[in-house]
Amino acid sequence: MKKLFSFILIVFFVSLFYGQQVIQLTPKTKLLVYYFHVTHRCNTCMKIEETVKKVLTTYFPNELKNNVIIFQSFNCELPENKKLVEKYQAYGSTLVLTSIKNGKEMKVEDITEFAFSKINNETLFTTEFRNKIKEFLVL
Amino acid sequence: MKAILRSALMLVVTLSFLFSCQPNKNAEKEKGSSFAAIDSNTTTPIVLIYNFYGTHRCPSCVAIENATIETLDSFYREEVKAGKIKRFGINIDDPQNEELCKKYEAYGSSIYVTQILKGKAQTKNLTGEGFKYALNKKEKFIEILKSTIDQFLKEE
Repeated sequence: MKKLFSFILIVFFVSLFYGQQVIQLTPKTKLLVYYFHVTHRCNTCMKIEETVKKVLTTYFPNELKNNVIIFQSFNCELPENKKLVEKYQAYGSTLVLTSIKNGKEMKVEDITEFAFSKINNETLFTTEFRNKIKEFLVL
Repeated sequence: MKAILRSALMLVVTLSFLFSCQPNKNAEKEKGSSFAAIDSNTTTPIVLIYNFYGTHRCPSCVAIENATIETLDSFYREEVKAGKIKRFGINIDDPQNEELCKKYEAYGSSIYVTQILKGKAQTKNLTGEGFKYALNKKEKFIEILKSTIDQFLKEE
């Protein structure tokens, strides 16, 4: 029992020090797709993340593999994500796109409203989100 | 030891059930409200606020509804009393609400603000803003909701 308790304690402290890492940009990176969520998630929030991942892996697999597109999901309630949360004003479920050119951020677009209003129609969401990604990749 | 672990597990399961599955108490107040009795030809604007939710609610969904109620209680007591603003908590899992959910395309937790005026209706979907701010940045969501209500009350 003592061993188990010590193990849990160690895991807890390690997780405090090594929180979620932000994937670093590479010279090839053109787009960041960030999704923020709270700890206790609803079906809609999970469906948005799932569909975003599906669109990216289906239509942009090479871009994902080569880090041309970086997708990351963050819990906005964790202290290690505080800076990002403030930067993107992402205090709850938030989907945000950032275009990158030569390692610099060029344009940031918050598409949370789009995500929540279109997610009930997966076909429409997929088409419009895919077009949005294409638009950002040629910026 | 096994007995202690089993008791602890049962306690955790019971507590999580109690805290996760309770309906929002504030929402219960709305039961019995009739949203059919609205004169669509009104010559002064009527603002309708719909908080749609599923039976099993997440904290963000509850926070959106509570912030909506707080906004009305803090800034629009008179308008609510006079019937200029009406709020409805709608359970999307209740078959009785099917038609309204279809009309608003509300398939999950969502918030819509509608203005009724001279036979016309215009609606603003604040779901995205709700999920983004209501739980952890309530004042920002209240500001957005208030600005929408003010705009709809003013437009004639």
